[in-house]
Amino acid sequence: MSEALQFAQTTLQEVALVFMAVVYMLRLRWIFKRFPAAKERQGSTGNPDTNPRKGFLYSWAIIGMPWVMESSRTKPIMYGMFVIFHIGVVVAIAESFIIPYAPGFLAANPWLGTFIQVSCTAACLVGVLRFIRRVSDKGMRAISSPDDYFSLLLLTVWFAFAALAGTNDASGGEGFLLTYFWMTAFFLVYVPFSKISHYLYYPITRYYFGKSMGNRGTYPIVKSVPGYVKTAGE
Amino acid sequence: MSTQTRSHKATKVLERLTKKVNRQIAGTMLACVHCGQCTDSCHYVQTNPGDETFIPAWKADRVRKLFKRHMDWTGRVIPWWVKASSVYTDEELEELRDIVFGKCTNCRRCSINCPMGVDFASMNRMARGLLVSVGIMPEGVSVVSKDQWEIGNQMGVLKEDYLDTLEWMEEELQEELEDPTLKIPVDKEDCEIVYTINPREAKYDPRSISDAAKIFHVAGESWTMPSEGWDMTNFGLFSGDDDLGGAVAKRVYEAVERLNGKTLVMSECGHGYRSTRCEGPNWSQTDLSFKAESSVDTMLRYIKERRIKVDKSKNDFSVTFHDSCNNARSCGLFEEPRELLRLVVADFREMYPNRAENYCCTGGGGAMSMSEYTPQRLKSAKVKADQLIATGADKVVTSCHNCVDGLNDCIKHYKVGMEVTQLVNLVADALIIEPAKTTVVVEEVPAAASAPVVEEKAAAAARPLTGRKILVIDDEPDVCTFLSTVLEDNGAQVLTAADGDTGLALARSEKPDLVTLDLNMPGKDGGQVYEAMRADDELKELNVVIVSGKPELRGLIYDKDVRKPEGYLDKPVSEETLLTSVRKILEVGEDNVN
Ligand code: SF4
Ligand code: SF4
Repeated sequence: MSEALQFAQTTLQEVALVFMAVVYMLRLRWIFKRFPAAKERQGSTGNPDTNPRKGFLYSWAIIGMPWVMESSRTKPIMYGMFVIFHIGVVVAIAESFIIPYAPGFLAANPWLGTFIQVSCTAACLVGVLRFIRRVSDKGMRAISSPDDYFSLLLLTVWFAFAALAGTNDASGGEGFLLTYFWMTAFFLVYVPFSKISHYLYYPITRYYFGKSMGNRGTYPIVKSVPGYVKTAGE
Repeated sequence: MSTQTRSHKATKVLERLTKKVNRQIAGTMLACVHCGQCTDSCHYVQTNPGDETFIPAWKADRVRKLFKRHMDWTGRVIPWWVKASSVYTDEELEELRDIVFGKCTNCRRCSINCPMGVDFASMNRMARGLLVSVGIMPEGVSVVSKDQWEIGNQMGVLKEDYLDTLEWMEEELQEELEDPTLKIPVDKEDCEIVYTINPREAKYDPRSISDAAKIFHVAGESWTMPSEGWDMTNFGLFSGDDDLGGAVAKRVYEAVERLNGKTLVMSECGHGYRSTRCEGPNWSQTDLSFKAESSVDTMLRYIKERRIKVDKSKNDFSVTFHDSCNNARSCGLFEEPRELLRLVVADFREMYPNRAENYCCTGGGGAMSMSEYTPQRLKSAKVKADQLIATGADKVVTSCHNCVDGLNDCIKHYKVGMEVTQLVNLVADALIIEPAKTTVVVEEVPAAASAPVVEEKAAAAARPLTGRKILVIDDEPDVCTFLSTVLEDNGAQVLTAADGDTGLALARSEKPDLVTLDLNMPGKDGGQVYEAMRADDELKELNVVIVSGKPELRGLIYDKDVRKPEGYLDKPVSEETLLTSVRKILEVGEDNVN
């Protein structure tokens, strides 16, 4: 392994990770210190079987329950793309630890390399489809910022290199691996300033929304069932 | 930061924004990933395909851009990268007003459909509050807020009018149940229930008060209505003004405490329930020392406890139920109204989608008071109209007075041919009233005198408007004939005018007791006629009832800074509604005829 790759896999990643962690700490401190949470004084309403605790737990879990929200229930393809994309994220991040710190494990389990390649390739394809949607749909264009386009492109290209680097095979040259690790480092530094850091906010927004909806008996959502539908001639 | 000069109002809005954002709102500002998943949950989007300015995330970004530019890191350093920008002029604030008031009813349907937990509706409400704090708001919002601040209720109903209405309803009920001891108690202390209402009931729908009174009476409830703090609606919810919200909620809480009531019961009003039951304690920083519930809960409890008996066959028509966004999505009141409905009607059909997923009546968020946005509101009501039509029901029931108006507009606009009613009316109609529940007092009348007196009373009751002069101003001959016939049949002397100028001339020469006024007329429209009447020393005290089939023209009357009309009726108007309203205004009870 070249020194450049050694550096990119370890020192560079560690520095980038520390940078991200520091920025995130500052970010969280900003959110919790700068913005006090509004206190909810009202007594509970609605379904007596629920409460604020159930509400926020349900709210956190809602992302894994596509049948709950109408927006995911009625768009299964979009939800499938979301799942593939985010599995890709987890796998590509895990890869950046496995290759430098557990190369033996990867070598001993060839299925793992295949899994990384398949999931990152699928995520890359989803990224391309998402990018096409964002560019071609008038409504999506209207709500997109340069950061939205760039973050999506960045991840899509990163998935491609994560797939190419997935088996940690440098026999054909170190180009893919080097690019993957340099991109990972850039990604770690860029993320706290971009929309990609939404995962940092997800627990916060969903906690407060879920807590309130639990207190008010709206969460868990009672699924809307089709009722009487007028038929022709009636 | 730009060196561009900033208007005083823009400066104040930005200053207040930095103080107003709490952790929940900050999360909503930060967490949107612009995924577009919430886009088609919004009824405005569904009815305006291709117009991106109705997309929830687009609307949210008009507010979010300020947060990003002034409070968030990336937006402060490289604003264009995250589409952050500031606001400088009053015109820009006015554009924002047309978005936050005109393009969103704060229904929260997008909020529950956002995977990230972004609660746009709450953010939108905050933005409304910021604009209101610098005086930038739709005219109707300003007028209604002023009434609620100054008069204590959002329809400007004076205390004496409110008390008169209660007295009048009490008399009607005494007569209906043949029980002269029946009371609508006012300011009675130590009762189980303190009952609060929407001022719309006192002004346009007194039957809902008498229906509630009938139910309390039959249930043998110890209850009262307060003479102050009786309006449980709260325009602060719509205007985003937490100070108004807190002050109004506090008035109601203080009324309950003053009377030492055990339970505050709110009549069927979605935003009133949400404001008083859920948000009010937050706005007013008050922990309630009493129980608070919707009248839906109360009525259901009475049936379950067998305090009242109902016969669902009395309501032998098909009904569907519209969930008010505030009751349902924001307060979880889903199953109680359905349970109650199944007990009092024979044929209940669910509307789809329903409960937390129901669509707004499209008159929510104070939209009914913002006439400048009526065309786009009615356009968005197509979603609701389709929902209603799909049920094939005869009537739609809702537990919200605001939704009653919103649905009525929708039904009229799309010619759905459905009637709107509330649970209190259905429960009252289904009541089985046992004789023991009423006390019939037989007045002793000397035999010789009794026959003519009774006959005279019966004749007077049959023609309650005898001696009253009423002017009908309407350009539609059918309507004119209908209104005159009903009024004449009830004893009134009726004059008619087919246009505004003739109407004004007749009003001056004939000095009627009451005028019914159409809004949409050739030549002088109803708004101009109304304004001329209120500006004329001789006519300004005239009782005026607007009778209109064009809700979008409401602004012709309600946006003007003149005394409000005594009544407002939607066309087509039924005989019963017309008479109830006219008799109430002229203070003519069935046994109280001149
Ligand atoms: S508000 Fe939620 S659903 Fe809508 S675009 Fe933003 S993240 Fe997506
Ligand atoms: S709150 Fe309701 S009206 Fe407003 S954007 Fe969301 S769905 Fe549309």
